[in-house]
Amino acid sequence: MSFSRTRLILGLQPRLVFAARAGPALAARRLISTSPCTGAQHHHHHKEPLETLTSKIDERQAHGAHLLPAETDAAGNTLNSYRHGPSALDKAVHLFFFTEIIRGMWIVLENFFRPPYTIMYPFEKGPLSPRFRGEHALRRYPSGEERCIACKLCEAICPAQAITIESEARQDGSRKTTKYDIDMTKCIYCGFCQEACPVDAIVETQNQEFSVENREELLYNKEKLLANGDRAEAEIAANLHSDHVYR
Amino acid sequence: MVSLQRTIRSMRRVGVREWWRQLQYICDAKSGTYVGKDQFGNRYFENRNGEEEVPGRHRWVDLAQHDYNATQVPPEWHSWISHIRTEPPSSDAVMQNLTPPWQARYIENLTGTRGAYKPYNTVAPKYNAWEPKVKARA
Repeated sequence: MSFSRTRLILGLQPRLVFAARAGPALAARRLISTSPCTGAQHHHHHKEPLETLTSKIDERQAHGAHLLPAETDAAGNTLNSYRHGPSALDKAVHLFFFTEIIRGMWIVLENFFRPPYTIMYPFEKGPLSPRFRGEHALRRYPSGEERCIACKLCEAICPAQAITIESEARQDGSRKTTKYDIDMTKCIYCGFCQEACPVDAIVETQNQEFSVENREELLYNKEKLLANGDRAEAEIAANLHSDHVYR
Repeated sequence: MVSLQRTIRSMRRVGVREWWRQLQYICDAKSGTYVGKDQFGNRYFENRNGEEEVPGRHRWVDLAQHDYNATQVPPEWHSWISHIRTEPPSSDAVMQNLTPPWQARYIENLTGTRGAYKPYNTVAPKYNAWEPKVKARA
């Protein structure tokens, strides 16, 4: 304990010299949290030109490296290297009166009387991006026609291979999907499917609250995805609108 | 015991009844301006005074149902309360213009109830069990 304390004070000595003169020892101890790290001040004692980039590991690891170099006054008398640092009495006071613990508890007490930062979740929500990638949805054109043309680009690019598509030609000749399954347990929500889609049919909505009780409820089929899109179309379209300048 | 002054201030503003309801549901006393109400009766509030509400907690919803969950907020208000859009949907021109006439009724997450989604196949099965057709013996 005392050994490590000595090393700490050694590094902080230039700061502590000021404070010890200025006021009580308690003020000096407060500087510890705001002072630069001890490693940054090593060159203070070893005045060497900076261009010689030596590691100095040998000096630091040598026996007695934590001791200050011996100082002498003008008459050649050896001076006490620790004469500017806190006295043994000061250090003993901080050690035995638990001042660090009390200062830590004071911070706790201060925050007890401050307004809480906790977001009370279902009533308040944290910020989401309009690009947030949540639950999937299949969109429709404003006319009500479904957008997906079964090009299967999303199926091809899906890194988790979570999408399965089968298609047929409809009676009017347009190609539409008969099966559009997403395994939401496989999906990694990377958003490649909505980037690959040429007609903005598959999108990831901002809904993140689709947790379910059974695993099978996460195996979405086309009807479920279209229903997601039908419910949230206004939100999806508004988000795409707010982001269209950057696309 | 979170900032007694804030709690008392909120109680004096919203009234004891509303204050008690907030303590039962939000577990915190809040006060602000009424922004709107959705089709399910959830009420939305906002207080943008940084001295009174910590930024990030300045929008909140008073959910109508006792058995509340986060998905009872419809998507339009979800994007407001998630701080995606600045304007509430009642005064958001973009959101109103982009709402199609065929937009479906919003349903909350029904997992754990009889209304929960069950996956099914949307195409005819590729292979079927053999159903022998026996010709009548002569």
